[in-house]
Amino acid sequence: MSNPATLSLAQAARAVRAAEIAPHELLQACRARSALWQPRINAFISQEPHSGSGSGALGGVPLAHKDMFYRTGRVSNCGSKILRGWIARETASALARLDAAGAAQAGTLNMSEFAYGPTGHNEHWGDCCNPWNTEYITGGSSSGSGAAVAARLVFGALGSDTGGSVRLPAAACGVSGLKTTWGRVSRYGAMPLCASLDTIGPLARSAEDCALLLGAIAGFDPLDPVSSREPVADYAGLIHQTPSLKIALSSPWMQRDAHPEVAAAVLAAAGVLRSSGAELIEVEPPDFDTLSAHCLVVMQAEASAQHLKWMRERPADYGSSVRARLEAGYAIPATVYLEVLRLRAAWLERFCATTLEDADLYLLPGIAVPVPTRAETGPKGGPEMPRLLGEVTRLTRWVNYLGVPALVIPCGFDSRGLPLSMQLVGRPFAEATLLAAGHAYQRETDWHEQAPV
Amino acid sequence: MTAVKQWSGEAIEAALAAQGIALAPGRAEKLARGQQLLLDAGAADPLRAALEFDAEPAAFVFAMRRCKTA
Repeated sequence: MSNPATLSLAQAARAVRAAEIAPHELLQACRARSALWQPRINAFISQEPHSGSGSGALGGVPLAHKDMFYRTGRVSNCGSKILRGWIARETASALARLDAAGAAQAGTLNMSEFAYGPTGHNEHWGDCCNPWNTEYITGGSSSGSGAAVAARLVFGALGSDTGGSVRLPAAACGVSGLKTTWGRVSRYGAMPLCASLDTIGPLARSAEDCALLLGAIAGFDPLDPVSSREPVADYAGLIHQTPSLKIALSSPWMQRDAHPEVAAAVLAAAGVLRSSGAELIEVEPPDFDTLSAHCLVVMQAEASAQHLKWMRERPADYGSSVRARLEAGYAIPATVYLEVLRLRAAWLERFCATTLEDADLYLLPGIAVPVPTRAETGPKGGPEMPRLLGEVTRLTRWVNYLGVPALVIPCGFDSRGLPLSMQLVGRPFAEATLLAAGHAYQRETDWHEQAPV
Repeated sequence: MTAVKQWSGEAIEAALAAQGIALAPGRAEKLARGQQLLLDAGAADPLRAALEFDAEPAAFVFAMRRCKTA
């Protein structure tokens, strides 16, 4: 067998079940990769392992998760100074479910401080760096999840997505990342940021791998008050069926508003999907900017409320960027926040009745601009930094406001060798359809099999 | 569209001070500009005028159920 670390999660799990490889060999292979890559990309915060049950769909496969998923008796720093060394008193439901599926945990992964940043900068634990070029951002806030999966340090990782925090690292690092429907995966035992927007989702090497992870973690949890009782589909089984999908897209908008290299890659991906049997339907784009602004109102108000005590008592212990974002939330009038939430249902119904009127999914870029550098988007990024960050998050936040699922998968590389990505957005609880479309695309392409060297 | 009064740095500083949040000098003006953009976007929302009197935030869960299948 070639280097086991280069297998997909699905292949690794099959190899373990067939006794072609032992779980400790997978872990050794991942550790060998980590020894090489960790000094360069700073993906891990801790490499303290935890063994799962060893048997099950994910038996013995090493994963690692954003440093905000609690495990009883273990440290969760949440990427912060304030919670440095904090020991959890409960285990996140998502981790408990992965344990039950037999997965191993290789450690905890770097993240933006308190999951409140879209780039992967971290003033306390050091920036996580993009394995394709360490001068560039990983995307955030699940920065270590994207970087570790891309560099083949683990076979999959959990992230959280409140405004793009699974999809941005997936896009910038060239891996597959699923933002789940709000309520699809229990948030119990995961650090809260914004109750109305927070979701948990997997990052992995392929849509098939994401399907395996989602199958393990999805489903009702009485410990999460917004957990949905919607039945859980057989995601891993359904991706092998080839549905006749109708995919909406806004080609003129992409050609006008996205960077030319991004637009060309996503439109080429649309062509691949059409060749594999999908019907493409041109539609007007959703009102990204209004929806993003509404998302930001909810995000700022809820995050700032969550952090009010520490912002009063120890504001200097926040990194400068996170402190600035939190300050903004205290200027959101309660009436504005509630009006935006009251409008949310109408906006979801409009999206499903117009953009998805004749389609199953909506296709757009993951990020509309080329991946920026760490220098130009960091705390000392200069006057262009706010505009650039706005462009990075422009196509992800609107999805969180609508509460719908979205899958980001790689669809090429730009002229500098950084990944390009596409994003598919579905109706509530359409994860199976998203993953099937992603798998159909990845059967025809090999972008997801590329790894940095 | 309903006109939205412009946020000022002084108003931001006072609002935050009332919540126990101290700002660095000059920061309030920057915050005021950013928050004004958000308020303007809300005021320009095309669905705002048709928002039902009895619409409530929790009804979003019902909308998710209604929208889940084509």
